[in-house]
Amino acid sequence: MTDVRLNVGDSAVARIAARRAARVPGVVALRADLAQTLVGVAGSVLGQDRSRLPTDGVNAVVRGQEAEVSITIATRLGHNCRDLCRTVQQEVAAEVAAQTGLAVTVRVTIVDVLLG
Amino acid sequence: MAVDPILDGGTSIDEVALEPLACGRDAAVVWDRAEAGTPPDAHERDCPHCTAVRADAAGLSSLVHRMAAEDIDPPPSVMERVMGAVMSELRPHDVLQLESPHGANRLGRPAAAGVLRGVVDRMDGLRARSCRIEQVPDRFDADVTITVTARFGVDLASVTARVRQMVLAAGEQTLGVPVRRVDISVVDIWGEP
Amino acid sequence: MQGFAEPAPVSVEVPPGPHLDDLTLVVRAQEGDVRAFEALARRHQAALYRLASRVMGDHAEAEDALQEALLDAWRRIDRFRGDSAFSTWMYRVVTNRCLAMLRKRRPLPVEDVEDGTPAPDSPERSAEADASMAALGTALQGLGDDLRICWVLREMEGLGYTEIAEITGASEDAVRGRIHRARTRLAEVMRAWR
Repeated sequence: MTDVRLNVGDSAVARIAARRAARVPGVVALRADLAQTLVGVAGSVLGQDRSRLPTDGVNAVVRGQEAEVSITIATRLGHNCRDLCRTVQQEVAAEVAAQTGLAVTVRVTIVDVLLG
Repeated sequence: MAVDPILDGGTSIDEVALEPLACGRDAAVVWDRAEAGTPPDAHERDCPHCTAVRADAAGLSSLVHRMAAEDIDPPPSVMERVMGAVMSELRPHDVLQLESPHGANRLGRPAAAGVLRGVVDRMDGLRARSCRIEQVPDRFDADVTITVTARFGVDLASVTARVRQMVLAAGEQTLGVPVRRVDISVVDIWGEP
Repeated sequence: MQGFAEPAPVSVEVPPGPHLDDLTLVVRAQEGDVRAFEALARRHQAALYRLASRVMGDHAEAEDALQEALLDAWRRIDRFRGDSAFSTWMYRVVTNRCLAMLRKRRPLPVEDVEDGTPAPDSPERSAEADASMAALGTALQGLGDDLRICWVLREMEGLGYTEIAEITGASEDAVRGRIHRARTRLAEVMRAWR
């Protein structure tokens, strides 16, 4: 261990979390993209625009060496909701921990399951 | 015609029931008959009041029909704005709990109901109407109450048994919410022969 | 030809989803199903927009009225009890929105029918068709709001007196009176075009 302490802000954690969550198979969209998905606006697939890191749908709060992250997603039929949430939890927690050294708790909310 | 009431914010002139024509006939009826293309009866042919009404109706008729046939559709942007606002108003607290070793996650109740309704909708001759999912307090399993409408002639007993099976399976496989009990009622029949 | 035990022909079967009846979609929307509400809104929006356009006499205002009315419908869909058809209920929601907007636009009830009446000094035969349509539109906007609403519901939407009474909250007699007055006034104005 060293004496150097890394200070990581909420929005940095949120960006890391959002980026990782969006790449989990079965995650169709983060919450902010939902309205677009719903009305069928084309090209709303996450991650097409890599330069813009989405944080909508992700909330992060850092307290000392701990972070709490909540993520709101949409999925589609064919993915078990409970298992998908666990995967997102694990992947996001691992990624945030690896990049920031913070201990992370993640809570996932699925607000939409696309049936098509 | 009776004296028109003053437009003082109380009774409007338009609240007054229609006076019959001087010949005693109801002007609205005479107009409606003319508009419907009903030929004038013996009275209407000779009555100047009825003839005047029918002439007015005939004079307007083709224009009114053309106006009614005009194609005016709302631009797609209206629906987009409406649905955007609707989504932003969704109640986030209306959720089911999903079991996890890392702390419970959540599933929107309307989304879960949508999945179960979809299971019913894909069955031949059945459509889901209401679907309520109530989780057992402090546990993860749930009771499901579902109402369906069925096509005429569908064997209701075997089909409800199948719905029960499918809902149980979807709860476990798709939602990850174990279903403890399923109540199904058939509330309507459609597509009669 | 009533084969009792005969199953319905498969070709008649409509796929679920887009062809769900209004009541099914309403119940789903009442339980928070956004897509069911969207399907309902899409199904009825053309008729509702026609009504709003003719009542407001302006496309931008009609769009606003439709948008706000659909949001009203989403927020109040719990209150729809199925006593009337959903379309009747929606017509009422749109009508109320339009009336609210008209009140804001024109705070005092004005019954001045002669206002806005077009003066066709020299109607030319070639442009007469379009011009007379425009004249009817102008004359329609010159009617009082209540007259115009009832006339549009009857003549443009083809509804019966009972349903119009339900939509407007007026008595059936009042509705008959309004429609006939509207018809008579429009006929007077349009006489110049015949």
